[in-house]
Amino acid sequence: MLKRLLFFLLICSFAKTVLAQESVDEARLKAAFIYNFTKYIDWGTASDENNFVIGVLGSSLVTQSLQEIASTNTVANKKIVIKIFSKPSEIDNCDILFIPQKNSFSLQSVLDHVGKGVLTISEEEGFARQGTAFNFVIKNDKLKFEANLKAINSAGLKAGSQLLKLATIVNGDKKE
Amino acid sequence: MQVFTSLLVLSIVFAVSVITDIRTYKERKANSVISLAQVIETNSISPLQFDDNEAAKNILSELRSTAPEITNAIILNKKGKIFASYSKTNTDSFHIPPNLSEKNHLYTDDHLYVSNPIMNNNEVVGKVFIKVELTELQELIKSKYQIGVVLLFVALGCSFLIAVFAQAYISKRLLLLVGTMKEVSRTGEYNKTISDKGNDEISTLIRVFNNLMQQIKENLRRKDEFIGIASHELKTPLTSIKGFVELLLELEDEEQKKEFLQKAMANSKRLDKLINDLLDVSKIQSGQQLELNEKEFEIGVLLDEATAAFQMAQGHEIIREDNLNGQTVIADRQRIEQVLTNLLSNAIKYSPPGSKVVINGRKTTTDLIIKVRDFGKGIPEEEQSNIFERFYRTKDNSIHVSGFGLGLYICRDIIERHQGKIWVESQEKGTAFYFSIPLRGIMSNQQNVGL
Repeated sequence: MLKRLLFFLLICSFAKTVLAQESVDEARLKAAFIYNFTKYIDWGTASDENNFVIGVLGSSLVTQSLQEIASTNTVANKKIVIKIFSKPSEIDNCDILFIPQKNSFSLQSVLDHVGKGVLTISEEEGFARQGTAFNFVIKNDKLKFEANLKAINSAGLKAGSQLLKLATIVNGDKKE
Repeated sequence: MQVFTSLLVLSIVFAVSVITDIRTYKERKANSVISLAQVIETNSISPLQFDDNEAAKNILSELRSTAPEITNAIILNKKGKIFASYSKTNTDSFHIPPNLSEKNHLYTDDHLYVSNPIMNNNEVVGKVFIKVELTELQELIKSKYQIGVVLLFVALGCSFLIAVFAQAYISKRLLLLVGTMKEVSRTGEYNKTISDKGNDEISTLIRVFNNLMQQIKENLRRKDEFIGIASHELKTPLTSIKGFVELLLELEDEEQKKEFLQKAMANSKRLDKLINDLLDVSKIQSGQQLELNEKEFEIGVLLDEATAAFQMAQGHEIIREDNLNGQTVIADRQRIEQVLTNLLSNAIKYSPPGSKVVINGRKTTTDLIIKVRDFGKGIPEEEQSNIFERFYRTKDNSIHVSGFGLGLYICRDIIERHQGKIWVESQEKGTAFYFSIPLRGIMSNQQNVGL
């Protein structure tokens, strides 16, 4: 009986690590995608002259991976800086805003605080339709992304065709 | 030879052109496939970055319409794993050749492999490999060979024709020259010239030959002139010597003096004969006709006279075996006698004392043939063709005979002027000279008589 319990616990913990491993991998992939997006976006005039700022709303596994990338890479010869905003009102002066899946704020309240020239990236089903520029989705166990062209345009940015051909284009009709 | 040379040159030129063509084609092909690989490279950067192998696969499958000669293509990711692959026939059998990684393209017997790294911001993010089948190249080579073979035959035919014409033109003239040279060296007629309208090395050769002939002719003419003048000048004092010796011989009674005078007389006669021969030859050479004083006479009587003259003087037995008494011919009696005397004196000179000399004669329907046969040493076959040339002396040193070697030359000339022939037959047991005289008018007379 005890043995069984132990075994069950063991399996549970294993499954947990496996699950945790999966989400870490996913977070690392998302961070890499976010970094790769920067290569296909025409940033125009940047918000900060010296740094390229990626803001993350709330806590996320992606943050750590982004920090790893930031330590070794640059965007348009600028240092990458990761900023964490705990609530929408703190959002300020960033080039990319990543909106993690688990946050307690409504999307609209977040978008209201986002200024011009900011690329919004979310990871919640349907968020692209609701007005984020890019939105991560899982299709057939693969990480894909949706792109809302209107959201990108209204942010005053341009996305490269090489990027868009990989994206699922959605219409941001709900925002209108 | 010319054909072979042109064939060789043609083959080399053709081989060079084929090799160059194949090389150019291969270079062009490799370059075009490499640029294709570079297009794939640019297009597959973002799919690699966003791990979208579907998109990469779509890029590759576009090759089916844009580049149907590509049989396989694969994209490897940064870690060297297959990210996307394409196979024209959907049979996945693409092995990357091991030595491809160093070069950007590689030719095998029937395929071209191209490898191209996928670069993004100076960072290798993957690799493209492409495999192309070379059916087009093989067809190109095949058609080249076909054209080559056809061309080769056409050119061969052409060069053969040209060679035949050139040969006809060159060889014909060379052979003419050689033929003339042979003829001249055989007949000694140095007045031959060759006309040639060409303006090349052969015509130069022919011109030089003609000049040479001219010089030889001139030299011969001078020599003959000299012989003519010399013999004529010698003859005048000799005639005078002969006349006075003859006179002395009649006046002299003393035996010993008479004997000396006879010897002087005999040698004067010999000298006279030699000078006469020289005069004859110089007349023949200068092209003057030895004038024939042709009259009808009995050949039997002439034969009698000639044999009698020798019978008395020499130690040979001369036998007449002919049956020509009463037969007449129309000819120069004196000249025919000269021929007979020559032949008889030769027969006696070249056969041992005491042996026989046989004269035979017969009549054909057209000719009278006289044969003078001795039982001496004979004449070697290789000399027989030369003995009628002037100044020809036998090469046999064991025989020492005086004279200029003009006798037979004069005989031949006399007989030929009579439209007859003179020839020799020689065996080990002696020599037989024949000459023929055409019977001409005599024959018709006889026929008339017969009718």
